[in-house]
Amino acid sequence: MATTLFDIAAERLEERCDMDRLAARGTLRLAVKEAGLDVQNLTILQLRAVFEKLMPNELEARGVTDAAATCQAVMNDIASAASTADLTTSSSPDEIFKRLGGS
Amino acid sequence: MEENAYLASILASIFFLIASMRLIRLHRRTRERPELLLGLYFAFSGIYYLGYNTPSLLQFDAWPAPINLAIEWAYILGVFPYLLFIRSVFRPAATWAGCFVAVCSVCLLVGTLLLTQDGTVDYALTNPWFVVQWFGYTAPCFWLGWEAMLYRQNATKRARIGLCPPIVANRYLLIALFGCFQVFACLADLSFANEVGSSETVSLLTDALLGGAEIASVAVLWLAFFPPVRYTNWITRRAVILPTPMDG
Repeated sequence: MATTLFDIAAERLEERCDMDRLAARGTLRLAVKEAGLDVQNLTILQLRAVFEKLMPNELEARGVTDAAATCQAVMNDIASAASTADLTTSSSPDEIFKRLGGS
Repeated sequence: MEENAYLASILASIFFLIASMRLIRLHRRTRERPELLLGLYFAFSGIYYLGYNTPSLLQFDAWPAPINLAIEWAYILGVFPYLLFIRSVFRPAATWAGCFVAVCSVCLLVGTLLLTQDGTVDYALTNPWFVVQWFGYTAPCFWLGWEAMLYRQNATKRARIGLCPPIVANRYLLIALFGCFQVFACLADLSFANEVGSSETVSLLTDALLGGAEIASVAVLWLAFFPPVRYTNWITRRAVILPTPMDG
């Protein structure tokens, strides 16, 4: 089975926090959904934004101490594991709609 | 044509032609397909509206039948790139979307061929081929409105964490509204066909619905494709972007 960026992130989260697999994946999935993103097609840029803006609060709500530092550590792990080439492409709807308005 | 709605349609046709030129010029620069497909749709729609409303504007009875047929086909040909645009932007990998495009295309082709089989365009609700053709061009408008609204919801969430410019999230809403207004115009087409088929006159309500839908369509497209700086600034100022907890 193919490993997605989501899988890698959830695995690192599981290692860094005292969470089981289901809790780690569920927490991350909720944050990704809250960010309006698709779990299957996450890019490193999107995941970074999720870990910066949403995950600290999600982890704090689940009793994780020093959630911000944990998120930073997970992000560092991911950056070394994933390619940075998978940023938004010219065919993503956001890019298309950006071009259509000339912005 | 309807009492006053033709003025709104003329306005729409001019705007569609301007928008199509801009999109096709954009395509020549980017070589990307979506702008070409949408540009073609607006070009064909502009030609249709202009051709269809010219007799009302210039106060002559009607075009000769072959010109009427050509005008009708211009609109129908424009719906194909419209369908491909919606599919390629919103559902490029979905099998059902490909099937939906095929069903609409068949409805458009079969409906128009049989609607015009005697050399004239027979708009009447009692003609089943009119209804088949109507489905073929109404369903894509509904589809565009639906998909753009779904994307707008997620784009608003992405905008909160800085992953989508607020003006792009707003553009999804504008395009969704365009789809909705076009559906209203298509519904008015049904009323128009019903009235013309039975009494050859058009009610004030149908007239207002057609004209209003076209004016509203032009307004939202203008904001989407030619956003004034003040509008862009207003949307950007209103956007809520979450702070980064780690910064604090």
